[in-house]
Parts: sequence; structure tokens; C-alpha cells
Amino acid sequence: MKDIQIEERVVSDHMPKITARGVQVYYGQNHALKDVDVDILEGTVTAFIGPSGCGKSTFLRCLNRMNDTVSSARVEGKILLDGEDIYDRSVDPVQLRAKVGMVFQKPNPFPKSIYDNVAYGPKIHGMTRNKGELDEIVESSLRKAALWTEVKDRLQSPGTGLSGGQQQRLCIARAIATSPEVLLMDEPCSALDPIATAQVEELIDDIRSQFSVVIVTHSMQQAARVSQRTAFFHMGSLVEYGETGQIFTSPQDPRTESYISGRIG
Amino acid sequence: MMEPHIRSAFDKDLEGVQALVMRMGGLVEHALLQAAHALETRDDALAEDVRAGDRAIDELEDLIQTECARIIATRAPNTSDLRVILTVMRIVGSLERSGDYAKNLAKRSLVLAQMRPVNGAAGSISRMARTVVSLLKDALDAYIARDAHLAEDVRRRDVEVDQMYNSVFREFLTHMMEDPRNITACMHLHFIAKNIERVGDHATGIAEQVLYLVSGEMPVDDRPKADTTAEMPQVHG
Repeated sequence: MKDIQIEERVVSDHMPKITARGVQVYYGQNHALKDVDVDILEGTVTAFIGPSGCGKSTFLRCLNRMNDTVSSARVEGKILLDGEDIYDRSVDPVQLRAKVGMVFQKPNPFPKSIYDNVAYGPKIHGMTRNKGELDEIVESSLRKAALWTEVKDRLQSPGTGLSGGQQQRLCIARAIATSPEVLLMDEPCSALDPIATAQVEELIDDIRSQFSVVIVTHSMQQAARVSQRTAFFHMGSLVEYGETGQIFTSPQDPRTESYISGRIG
Repeated sequence: MMEPHIRSAFDKDLEGVQALVMRMGGLVEHALLQAAHALETRDDALAEDVRAGDRAIDELEDLIQTECARIIATRAPNTSDLRVILTVMRIVGSLERSGDYAKNLAKRSLVLAQMRPVNGAAGSISRMARTVVSLLKDALDAYIARDAHLAEDVRRRDVEVDQMYNSVFREFLTHMMEDPRNITACMHLHFIAKNIERVGDHATGIAEQVLYLVSGEMPVDDRPKADTTAEMPQVHG
């Protein structure tokens, strides 16, 4: 019986996209992340869960060098994207962030038109030669973000005029417009209503065939619904990392058990 | 036991549903013992009580299943909480079936009371019933205590019930060959013995649920079995 599996959910044969080894993060004297080893797989949604301050967002921010902008932060250890060290001197963080996109907790569209919000990334990275190609990228990104039909007749209206759920999908469209290979999402649904949340989750499921998604969420059920792998962080350490179904039915570590089931952890 | 939930109402829900399972288990154990006793003492009134009592067992099953559905819908249980709900749902299925067997035993004992007793048969059945009830009781105790050792013990001891069944099977065959007037009674007695043997299987199933609850995995090894009646050669009289 053990070799019968539900195909769709099997990701164990996927190649690692990001390999992190011995990652330490310090904010000044504070040792915020302790010796984290993780393989983020291709074509897989990986959920990071854990109580506030456990280090999950810190680790997420390491994956596209967002911590570079925090002056007190110091990152040690190795993070490889397709085998290349992203902290190598030769790596341009701006180019890295085109490959490793990010969506934040609160929708933060630029104070520009819907069109320009999506077109901005491809423009600054020189991904297109003419207006026609740019139009195509804007349309396909908005379609992937399940926003196209709602905004196609008002592409020149300001992005900030959209509803919260639409703004978040606009930010996702903006993030995927540069054709990233990894999409990082830091609580992308915490400001959204259940319908908009369902739309974003549907979108996450759709896009994972094209890139790896890493999502930080405080909603256990969201992690259970959208991810194939789950990592549980606690007090700066990675406590447990495994197949989502296993983590939510029979976790190995008592701390994971306590946290997921809503006990004092 | 686990530490308490931050939401204490969740603990109350889980404890409540498990208390109902224990109550249901108590009713099933009682019904089996009473039915076997009614058979042994040819007590029609007691047998009628057991028959009527099965209704309460069925109603408890409905209540527990409804409660489990409510907990799943409202609390989205995870990890060991999820395993509690899953095991409760499987265990009440087994208990309900065992209750039906007790009821069937009572019905047949009403019929048997009208016939000539078969030497020693009711005593053998009663012994078998007591053994099975002790298995059931230990399986449920193991459930409440989350005691994997006791659950393993129940799995092993089911062999005793199988062996008792083999022996009454032979006993009934002998009675039937000795005197064909025993055939009707022995047919009824055999169904009773088979049903009690099945209750033993349900007790084993409950013990396996305990192992799943504790470890998150179902036991993979084949449990010991000793019911050999399916392979018994034809007996020549």
C-alpha cells in the first residue's frame, strides 16, 4: 500500500531550487536565526510557519537579500540559488530580486497606473524591445494574477484605486512580470477577505508549475491548503521541515504539535 | 496526555466526544455480557432487555458522528486532535457493529430457549463472550490512556478468541453428527460464536486505532490470527 501515492501532491522527486546551509542571522547582538538548513524545491509551494518573532520572515528576507537594507543585520552561511551563492560579491542584488520576487503583507502598489505598476519591472530590467512586447507582458501577468478581466478596461487608472484584494493581486502581477524563478510571499492574505484570499490561493496553486513559491503565513489552514512542504520555525531555529500532510497529521517534534494544534508552545 | 489548548472550548469538545465513546463502549460490553448470560440461563426477559437496549447504542453512535462532523467543521483539527477525531469515528463504527452482534445474540437466545439445550454449548459461548469483552474493555482503556503497550497486548490476545472459536466450531460439528436433532440449535450457536469472534476482531481494530492515535501510523505487521475453520478438512463421522 505504501507505494500508492496521490501523484499531484508528490514533490519529493523535485530538484532543489534554493539550498540553504548553516544560515545565521544577527541583528546587532540578537542572534535571530540559528543554523538553518533547508532545500526549497522547484515547482513546489513551501510554507513557513511559526509564532511571531520565530525568524521565518527573517529567513524569507535572506532569500532575496532584503536584509542587506537593514544596517544592523549580518547574514552568515550559504544560500545557493541553482547552485550559485546569492551572497557572492559578483551577484547584483537588483538582478537577484528580479529572479526572486516578493509580495508583502500589505498591498503596496506604486502611486501609478495599473499598467505602469506591472510594466515597471520589465522596463527597468530592459526585458522588452517595444511597446507591443510590454503590453503582452502586462496582459499575461495580469491574467496569471487573475486580475485581467477586472481591470482590462481601466489600465490607466491608479493602482491605489483598486480594492484591497485587487491591489494584492496587482502586486502579485507586478512580482511575476519579471518572470521570477522564485516568488516569496510574506503573509500575502492577511489583509484580504475570504474571497480574495481564495483567489490568491488559487493563483498560488496555478503559478507553482512555473516557479517555486515560499509563503510565510500565520494561518495554519492556509499553510495546510496551499503548500506541499511546511517548515516550522521556533525561537530562531528550524524545528521541523517536511511534507505538509505529514506535518499536519503527525508531526515528529512536540513543539510543532503544540504550535499547530493551538496549544501553548 | 497533551497540554491544554489555548482555546479551552476545543479541549471540552474533544473530551466530551471521547466521554461519549466510553459510555457507548460500556453499553456494548454490558450488552454482550448480558446477552451471553441470558443464553446461559435461558432468561427471556434479560434477552429482551438486550434487544431493546441496542437502540441506545445506535443513538449514541449518531450523536458521536454528528459531534465529530461539527468539530471538524468548526475547529479544523490538526495533528493529534485530528487523529482523535478520526479514531473516534472509526471506533464508534466498530462499537455499533459489536452492539448489533450482542442484539443478534439475544435474539437467537430467545429462539434457543425454545429448544433442547446442547450440552455445554452455552457455557463455552459465555466464556468466549467474557474473553472478548475483556479485550474490548482493554482496547478502550488503552484508548483513553493512550497506552500503546496495552493496545499491542490486545492485538496479540485476539488469538485466544480465535482458538476458542475453533474449538466450539469442532464441538458443534460433533454435536450435530451425534444427533441431527441438534442441528438447528447448533446452527444458531455457531452464528453466535462467529459473531463473538468478530467482536474480537473489532476490539483488535480499536487497538490498532490506539496505535495510530499514539504514533500517527497504522501497524504494518500482520497481527497474529488463529481462526483455522476456513481451512478445516471435512470431518467424517
